[in-house]
Amino acid sequence: MLRWSLGALALLGLAATAAADPVALNSDVPVMLEEAAAAGINQTYDGGWEHFVGGGGAAFDCDGSGFPSVFLAGGKNPAKLYVNKSKRGGPLKFVEKPIAIDPKLLTHVIGAYPFDIDGDGRMDLFVLRVGENLLLKGGPNCTFTLANKEWNFGGDEGWTTSFAAGWEKGQKFPTLAIGHYVDRFAPGSPYGTCEENSLYRPQPGDAPDYSVRTPLTPGYCALSMLFTDWNRSGAPSLRVSNDRQYYRGGEEQLWRIEPGKPPHLYTRAEGWRHVTIFGMGIAAGDLDGSGFPDYALTSMGDTKIQKLDRDESERGEFPVYRDIAGQMNATAHIPYAGGDKRPSTGWHSEFADFNNDGLLDLFIAKGNVAQMPDFAAFDPNNLLLQQWNGKFAEAGDKAGIAEKAPSRGALIDDFNLDGNLDLLVMHRTAPASLFRNLGASDGHGGVIPTGNWIEIRLAEPAPNRDAVGAHIAVKIGVRTLMRTISVGGGDASGHMGWVHFGLGTAERAEIRVQWPDGEWSYPYRAFANQFVVVDRTKPQAEYWYPGR
Amino acid sequence: MRKRIGGGALALVLMATAGSVEAGSWDERVFTHHVDFDAVAAAGSAALPGLIARGRELFQAKFTTADGAGRPKATQAIIPTKRKFGVNPAFSRLSGPDSDSCSGCHNQPVLGGSGDTVSNAFVSEGFESPEFDSTDPSFSSERHTTALMGAGLVELLAREMTADLHAERDAAVAQARASGKDVEADLVTKGVRFGSLKAHADGIVDLDAVDGVDADLIVRPFSRKGVFTSLRQFTINALNAHHGMEASERFGVRWTGSHDFGESGVPDAVRPGDVSALVAFQATLPPPTVKQNLPEDWRIAAAEGEKHFDELGCASCHRATLPLKSLIFTDPAPYDTAGTLRAGEVRKGIVIDLSKFPFAAQLKRNAKGEWLIPLYSDLKRHFVVDAEVADLGNELQAQRFVERDVFLTPRLWGVGSTAPYGHRGDFRMLNEIIAAHGGDARFARDAYLGLTKDERDTVIAFLRSLVIEAP
Repeated sequence: MLRWSLGALALLGLAATAAADPVALNSDVPVMLEEAAAAGINQTYDGGWEHFVGGGGAAFDCDGSGFPSVFLAGGKNPAKLYVNKSKRGGPLKFVEKPIAIDPKLLTHVIGAYPFDIDGDGRMDLFVLRVGENLLLKGGPNCTFTLANKEWNFGGDEGWTTSFAAGWEKGQKFPTLAIGHYVDRFAPGSPYGTCEENSLYRPQPGDAPDYSVRTPLTPGYCALSMLFTDWNRSGAPSLRVSNDRQYYRGGEEQLWRIEPGKPPHLYTRAEGWRHVTIFGMGIAAGDLDGSGFPDYALTSMGDTKIQKLDRDESERGEFPVYRDIAGQMNATAHIPYAGGDKRPSTGWHSEFADFNNDGLLDLFIAKGNVAQMPDFAAFDPNNLLLQQWNGKFAEAGDKAGIAEKAPSRGALIDDFNLDGNLDLLVMHRTAPASLFRNLGASDGHGGVIPTGNWIEIRLAEPAPNRDAVGAHIAVKIGVRTLMRTISVGGGDASGHMGWVHFGLGTAERAEIRVQWPDGEWSYPYRAFANQFVVVDRTKPQAEYWYPGR
Repeated sequence: MRKRIGGGALALVLMATAGSVEAGSWDERVFTHHVDFDAVAAAGSAALPGLIARGRELFQAKFTTADGAGRPKATQAIIPTKRKFGVNPAFSRLSGPDSDSCSGCHNQPVLGGSGDTVSNAFVSEGFESPEFDSTDPSFSSERHTTALMGAGLVELLAREMTADLHAERDAAVAQARASGKDVEADLVTKGVRFGSLKAHADGIVDLDAVDGVDADLIVRPFSRKGVFTSLRQFTINALNAHHGMEASERFGVRWTGSHDFGESGVPDAVRPGDVSALVAFQATLPPPTVKQNLPEDWRIAAAEGEKHFDELGCASCHRATLPLKSLIFTDPAPYDTAGTLRAGEVRKGIVIDLSKFPFAAQLKRNAKGEWLIPLYSDLKRHFVVDAEVADLGNELQAQRFVERDVFLTPRLWGVGSTAPYGHRGDFRMLNEIIAAHGGDARFARDAYLGLTKDERDTVIAFLRSLVIEAP
């Protein structure tokens, strides 16, 4: 039979109907093969109360190979660096590489985000910890040195559970936003004792200098932060998702961060609406090509999908959002498999195109905090595949990612550079999972190729070499697919490197970049199924090929 | 392969239309049955006569509304695209659907051939302005019908050339990474140079000096601009653009969420096996030939003209032959992308050994045993317009990244049977189209015009001897 036959289609349709899923699953379902052990990944996030949250990691190219390596938090266990040794299209392969810093600093790690802080062309890491946070300066061949002292960073001690970074206009180095959880030592802790958050703007000079802290008060137990240009003003604001479990009088927050001005919290008068959730992870993505980002906010129970209300917001004047998760079938509020009907607990969330059909899908990591009886014990991760009607259909179980282990952070990246996005999921108290995306299910136990794809890397002169804050628009036919290069969001997990787009049946794509300073590039033409480097200093987009 | 197709062979490749209501023998539909791709692939060569015969039928068939023709709510675009509003007219001479059958245009001098100017097509990307009622080149690019004779051989040449170019690129990348230094590599395949590339040690490849082929180094041998990789891709595009017939492998539920994207009322109107039948028919069309039994004056003049053709430099692009290593045609093709059936999407592909067809016996072979395909083309794109000679520069739109004054070297085999000439048939006589060559071809054109009238006539005599003859 044809590997993806009409018969298989009918079967899929019937299966969806039989499961009473209100949205039929018509799209390709990726086949995700778990191979962490075989790939050499062995990391468990564990620990006491402080490590009920967190559990993230970072994916980034640390050796110039183009393949993303990973840094994984361990909680009470030491964080580990795994260098990617995979071959293109092959099984995943990683080799652990020791990090030459004080081993004590590698414990009580919550998560990490990769970005090039000092503009030297090598990825650095911000490491979130319980205690002193770390700035690790990247060196050659996946080596790191502790740069807190060199960059005048005091570590911003606390229980750090979220982080975001971005380049403000006119700044040579990035601004860092650090989100804290509960002040464990405050009277009455933990309830009502959320610690305030911090903003570090780089001080003038030729090297990063984070000696000056600006408080972001009030803090409401921030579990996820993201610099996001929600209204395309050119000055990204700081979105903070907060855990209502511990705050009193708190809510979700949006800070206006304008160059040279103190941070300003958006108010009711400015359109910001009172939303209280157990905010765990922010994902940003332009679901419908509107040009404005939509946000998925995980929580205990409903996931929110917040969309800018174009009318109420006066087309971006005011940050007025409405929740469209229900109409998109993306609330993911209870487990879709296993029979436990208690509410879910969502952590990392991220939009990505797992089946290369040109539609953004939504991954949500799920997992009970720690035997909380009112919430589902078996709480499989979601893979919500966007359908052509704009709604999402659940495919986590069919894809093979419905795990028992309680999940936390995640890294969605193309670890073997075959054009299909793979998935690393961190679990609390259990080894991390690593899923290789083999392609699409043919409905008969086999695998067929997914849609076309393109992966893009931006480059511009230092300091912001990776163009953090840039928007990439990929035009295929009448549709424009948007991505933004950002540092932050999710559950203490981030990646930097190739930006992946599924292209569906498009054989060609036109790429335009809005660079961080707001300037739009001219269109670059590129063919599908290629790695493309858009270097701001060069007239043509360049193709890149892996060396193994 | 010439034997009559028995009922058994036909039955092997046909499967009932799902959900169809049994109709009488007068049924107007073309697709009372669909071809079962898997059955054909499994049956191997035994199924080919039936497959090709069905392909011939489909090539000549006038698709009906009951077959799904018309794509009322979709455009002609190669990426499934809905109309923003309104409904397509059943027939639109300019923006399409513009014909009832493949043979409506591809019919001269035989089925699968070229066509009269009256059958010119007006191609547009079909995205933003799919509907137009003007021949103004601001809206579309006009195209004279190309002959499909020998198309299977052409595709095989392109596949081998692509493989060579990719191997050269990969070798340069590997060498650059290993040495830590830039490596420049000439891109040469079958004696045709496609410029060069520079591989850097970090894996980035500088393609600025690549010439006449797309940046992905896939030789696309079909269409005037060289933008279609395979007969399969061409067929799917043409079925949609010209007839409003949507192939499920491009417009079906996988890529659109619908079994009836164009809202014709007929789900999955064209199945993969149906496309394969059309591909098999086109791939096995015999190549053009050299006219035999010429009058003595023509024979002498043609021989003289062939020499001039070489000496003038015409053959620098219009290569007399390109060598082909294998005549095994596989369907699906190796370099197609999603939306055109790929090898990974079938358990077993269809294999057509073109060496088993009578026309193969007419092909010469070189010392390496390679088949010499007399196509008179390099399958490369060239600029054919310059400041002084710009008659071919009558377009305003780039087509799929190919700039407006750039065209694939037309294959001259059969040129004696495919007047008029040029990408939109503007030139009624061979002398006129030769004189219209500018740009990269300017030197040869000037040399030609520098000949005496009698000498120029011999070139015409030679070209007129390259014909498409009824099998």
